[in-house]
Amino acid sequence: MDPVFNPPLHRQRHQFVLDFVKKNKPKKVVDLGCSDCTLLKKLKFHREIELLAGVDINGATVKKKMRALAPMSTDYLQPTYDQLRVELYQGSVTQRDARLRGFDLVTCIELIEHLTLADVELFSAVVFGYMTPKAVIISTPNSEFNALFPGVTGFRHSDHKFEWTRAEFRSWAMKVCLDHDYEVEFTGVGKASPGQQESIGFCSQIGVFHRLGLRDSCNTALADSGDDVCSYTLLHSINYPTLRDNNTMRRVLVSEVLYWAEKLKNRWMEEMTFGLTESEQCMEEMEEMQTACGGKEMTTEVEQCDEVLDLSESHRCVSIPLAVLWSSCPKVCALSGSLTNLRHILMDNPEIKLNQDGSAVLVQYQEDDRDTEEVDVDLDDSGFAETRRFSHPAEQEDWDAEAAAAL
Amino acid sequence: MDPSRPPNISDMKGVYWPGCGRGLQPEEMAIGRGRGLLFPTEAPGIGQARGFPPTDANSPGQEVTPLPTEPGVGEAKGLFVKPYDFRGGRARGFLLPPAEPKAGMARGSILQTLEPQPGPQPPETVTLETSGSDAAMRGMPIHGQASTLLSMFRGMGIESSMFSIGRGAPLVGRGASGDKGDVKLQGASARAISTPENTGQSGFMMGRGSSFLGQSLSPQMMVGIGRAAMSPLGVRGGPAAIPSFPSDNVKSVPQTPEAQTALHSPPSQAEPVATTKDATKLSAVMPPTTELQMEAVQLPPNKAGTQGAPISIGSNHIPIRCKNEAVYQYHITFTPNVELMSMRFGMMKEHRTTTGEVVAFDGSILYLPVKLDNVVIVKSLRKTDNEEIQIKIQMTKILPPNSDLCISFYNVVLRRVMKIIGLKLVGRNHYDPESAVILGKHGLQVWPGYSTSIRRTDGGLYLCVDVSHKVLRTHSVLDVMNTTYQQSKENFQDECTKELVGCIVITRYNNRTYRIDAIDWNKSPKDTFTLMDGTTVTFMEYYSKNYGITIKEMGQPLLIHRPKERSKPGGKQIITGEILLVPELSFMTGIPEKMRKDFKAMKDLTMHINVSTEQHTQSINELLKNISTNPESLKELSRWGLEIGSDILVMKGRTLPLETICLRSSSFATGADVSWSREIVRDASISSIPLNIWAVFYPRRCAEVAEELITTFNKVAGPIGVRLQRPIRIELRDDRTETYVKTIHAQLTSEPNLQLVVCILVGNRDDLYSAVKKLCCVKNPIPSQAINARTISNPQKLRSVAQKILLQMNCKLGGELWTVNVPLKHLMVVGVDVHHDTSKVHQSVMGFVASVNSSLTRWYSRVTFQTPSEELINGFRVCFLAALQKYYEVNHCLPEKIVVYRDGVSDGQLKMVEQYEIPQLIKCFETFANYEPKLVFIVVQKRISTTLYSYAANSFGTPPPGTVLDHTLTQKDWVDFYLMAHQSRQGCGLPTHYISLYNTANLTPDHLQRLTFKMCHLYWNWPGTIRVPAPCKYAHKLAYLCGQYLHSEPVIQLADKLFFL
Repeated sequence: MDPVFNPPLHRQRHQFVLDFVKKNKPKKVVDLGCSDCTLLKKLKFHREIELLAGVDINGATVKKKMRALAPMSTDYLQPTYDQLRVELYQGSVTQRDARLRGFDLVTCIELIEHLTLADVELFSAVVFGYMTPKAVIISTPNSEFNALFPGVTGFRHSDHKFEWTRAEFRSWAMKVCLDHDYEVEFTGVGKASPGQQESIGFCSQIGVFHRLGLRDSCNTALADSGDDVCSYTLLHSINYPTLRDNNTMRRVLVSEVLYWAEKLKNRWMEEMTFGLTESEQCMEEMEEMQTACGGKEMTTEVEQCDEVLDLSESHRCVSIPLAVLWSSCPKVCALSGSLTNLRHILMDNPEIKLNQDGSAVLVQYQEDDRDTEEVDVDLDDSGFAETRRFSHPAEQEDWDAEAAAAL
Repeated sequence: MDPSRPPNISDMKGVYWPGCGRGLQPEEMAIGRGRGLLFPTEAPGIGQARGFPPTDANSPGQEVTPLPTEPGVGEAKGLFVKPYDFRGGRARGFLLPPAEPKAGMARGSILQTLEPQPGPQPPETVTLETSGSDAAMRGMPIHGQASTLLSMFRGMGIESSMFSIGRGAPLVGRGASGDKGDVKLQGASARAISTPENTGQSGFMMGRGSSFLGQSLSPQMMVGIGRAAMSPLGVRGGPAAIPSFPSDNVKSVPQTPEAQTALHSPPSQAEPVATTKDATKLSAVMPPTTELQMEAVQLPPNKAGTQGAPISIGSNHIPIRCKNEAVYQYHITFTPNVELMSMRFGMMKEHRTTTGEVVAFDGSILYLPVKLDNVVIVKSLRKTDNEEIQIKIQMTKILPPNSDLCISFYNVVLRRVMKIIGLKLVGRNHYDPESAVILGKHGLQVWPGYSTSIRRTDGGLYLCVDVSHKVLRTHSVLDVMNTTYQQSKENFQDECTKELVGCIVITRYNNRTYRIDAIDWNKSPKDTFTLMDGTTVTFMEYYSKNYGITIKEMGQPLLIHRPKERSKPGGKQIITGEILLVPELSFMTGIPEKMRKDFKAMKDLTMHINVSTEQHTQSINELLKNISTNPESLKELSRWGLEIGSDILVMKGRTLPLETICLRSSSFATGADVSWSREIVRDASISSIPLNIWAVFYPRRCAEVAEELITTFNKVAGPIGVRLQRPIRIELRDDRTETYVKTIHAQLTSEPNLQLVVCILVGNRDDLYSAVKKLCCVKNPIPSQAINARTISNPQKLRSVAQKILLQMNCKLGGELWTVNVPLKHLMVVGVDVHHDTSKVHQSVMGFVASVNSSLTRWYSRVTFQTPSEELINGFRVCFLAALQKYYEVNHCLPEKIVVYRDGVSDGQLKMVEQYEIPQLIKCFETFANYEPKLVFIVVQKRISTTLYSYAANSFGTPPPGTVLDHTLTQKDWVDFYLMAHQSRQGCGLPTHYISLYNTANLTPDHLQRLTFKMCHLYWNWPGTIRVPAPCKYAHKLAYLCGQYLHSEPVIQLADKLFFL
């Protein structure tokens, strides 16, 4: 039987990439040979990534599962500041595409062994010479390890064009580094048993490449070969909702303001109602409410404003000062940044009514006309319309007889 | 699986047993199906072929497997899932060593069942012994494990045999045992410790258990029984027995007497046993290459009415054209058997060159849009042991492309299409978050979307599109908890539980929905859980590592979701135990409970949710456009040759004649709006109870409105015909619940002749309402009327409100308001509805209401609580008998015709109701000597996705009340119809679906439709027609009151009054 890895080897390879991402926080990541987007699906949760791309020669495989890269439902409910764009391409890694330049990380997990050696040359030129990412992770089978697979005689997979020993991989990598000004460190996943680790190495060998001379701005590096080739086909692209998008931000802020304004209004109204009753709990609850609203001053503030307001349209409104909103709702506070900014944003929003000097939000205050659950109808007795009261020729029916006749 | 190897079960843990059992069920299913499918081939030659389709019903697992089986079983969903589970257990059984005595007993029992079938017994006996002893031999090594399982079977077996033997009403008994068996199986893990004695018995029990199953599903034929009984034994004998083709099997018995074939033999022998001797020969002679014919389409029963005015109506259905000539069904046999579903799928995938890219495969049945040779044999290598597996693909059926069997994978295609056009799956429906409506004020988002399905009705294949809206909260569960905390610190945990339990949440990290079943206050994200691979990790670390999510609040409790025990597709992993969710990462969906009571807030919301007919049809057209303009989605559909039409279905319906409402001395025809709110307050009701001694309770601040109300009552009482004395007025010190209850109680004690209690309440106070109702319905029986102070606070509306309340009070006292003429003598109409508590804290309640006089104005009501150990039907019988007795008391005779309107039955439960509930009701009649009334049993379905529009001058509108549709969209197995009885005030025409399951009164479709429409006129709380027949609505009201507020049965003294209105 095969040596069994726990967790499975493919997952370990992906975890290696994820750990790298977590440590180095690249903003733009592309997975070459992304296949059914398994790695991308995991990477999309790492929201420090802003652009996530996938390339595969087989467009159909990519398409099959690519919907899973769509934003979650909750991403729409509570957008974050993180922004993410996902792009999926169909194309060959031996060809250049300008859209894939300037990435922070390129991953090629178990890819190169599927290329012919000639194509590997092209691949090196494209990835290291043209795309010039800051870092590249390349994993490929270590053929020395195959000795531990009793069943395997040739390659591990029928489509493999080669499987390298550690030395072969190393020499290729060193050449790449020399040619394109990268440095490389070697590691791997899938350890052999302790005694054999030295002699055999990892099951999957991994080379992590870093571009040298990063101090130079990467733009200069890009400008060198300025031809804008687009040889890949864009299959799919998705933009995640983000608060950095001004519209989204305003929308979220406005709904948050409305929500809190309503809440503060309700608290105030409850208080008023309790003021009228002689409930014993009244005092207790008053206290609670004050603490809940963040202090006594605030409660009075809301109250005071109401006196000012009795709008001309005979719509009674409660006015809630922006300052109160700003200070009592951390989210409003975080979204708007400053009180002035908050006022500014709310001012030109049709959904929100501000008072004249723009210092408070007006919330309509209505007697709500709830019906008892007991009364199903709300009879409208006005206008006693003429009734349709004609004698209906009630034909004498007898279904019993009909049923009997039908028998 | 290799029969020479002992089954590898050592690595499975005890806890998983029930799940495992089910996990393997497809194996068993293959058998049931395989044989069932096969029979059409032979059908021409065998007189008894009729018996076989039911065997097919053995595998009715729509819910679990993506593929349905026979047309006849299409409806079986809910109900048969139970026996299905149960069967799963049996499937597990093949791993077990049945000891010798068991085989003997099994034989005995089967012989018993087969007695009516002469002839074929001897061969069967032989085979049984073979299998028994052989299996026993092989089974030795795993004996320890076996006993565990066997005890499960014992559980099932005992229960089932108790029920299934020798009942007068056989169908009923069998159905019952199906359920029982399942219950036991669920509990099986708990009784995992068993003794060797149990083992000894279990074989027998299994035999019984399964034979009962056969009976329950194929009642017509002993054939079915015999075979069903055999199959578990066969399977037990050797997993290699996926014996699908009788010709095959019959041959194999005499030809190859080696071990493996011997294991084959029980089922193969069962086949000839099942049929006649002639048939045996025939099937042996007949080559399996018989030309398959396309299945014939059954004719639906006559369900068309004629009365009423014709009208053009549209519906939210779009015809689907199938361009393929046929869909071909194949049976797949793996030799040696491959047990693992995923491996079966994998192997089939390797042969896409043979099958083509378009496949629907459930592990044993394969559907292709292309025709292969009758038998195709391919080979695969099993990677685990390099064994060569032969895969035999044998064509079993040629299906018309709109066959019921295809519907489920067409729906898979449809779901993919919905995704392709960019909609998000939330729960079961697809939504478009980009077009969300944001209700900032309430912290909600409303996502527009669709609930879509492909279904087959009498008219053919349709895409049914319902416009759906998903309400989601923009705040996480943690935010909600914080808010709750601010509002009530001391009752925080209780309040939270109240608010959260029963809610459906979605999470930040996957697109799944979970129902909150409880809150674990002792856990926090810092606690650990065990991953699949056995490592422990804290929630915090887990979300950080896998999803890059940092949990901010470390002190939050965790939400508990308890999934229904089921196996994942493929049967590999079992979902068991609790799932813990982090509140910070969860978002609630659905309308908040608090908001439901807030009339104004609901108005804000329903504004977006209730769409007009115009918006409805517009949305549908938009969806159709999105599908038809997206090449990718078209391609997906065309894989199965599907083409969705471009227009909404329009057909001919009818509007039933208007009814005449009768009051005491006047009558009037209803108008087009079917509302008579004005008429009923001008003329006297049929009968009124004089209100002599009654009391009004109100808090001090309501003194004025209370006085106003009483004055108004007196003004409006005259025309209605109510004689009203001045009430006793009791002002309450405060509005605490305790004060209300104490004062009312004191009054009831001091004034024993009090007729009615009226309470004026301030605000929506459930606890107070509940306390008052408990007092008046349970402790001190007296009709009671609760009035929200707000309702009577508007002086302009007071008059009409007072009229309404007065009518309602009259009903509660036993008065009668109005009726319609039903030209059926000695009729009793029964309404039944079930209330389920969403938080699952309380039991389900069945409300039962029956008419006890000829004018259908006096109703007798009962409720019954569903206990876990007792089926609903037992309570149903008690209620039914009581109602018959009451009818006799009132009329001095029993009803000759009984019409039951049964609400709360899903499509999947129809068969259960038909086979189990109805016979039980009929059995009630035996209580009375020489009593054989006619029974009509109609299932009422409100929650359906069918919408009707009126169609005139090229535009869609709301259909008028009384619109009935009894063709095209109706279901093929039943007499059913859609009736929209009510006036649709907002939104579009939502009809109610009525299915007549039983009709010995010979009511014609016209009569059924009109009777139902008439019954929709009789709900006294609403002067107009309602969506469902009045008795159903009454039953609903009653069940709701008891389930939501009383939590116990109301006293019997109130049973003849509509006290629950």
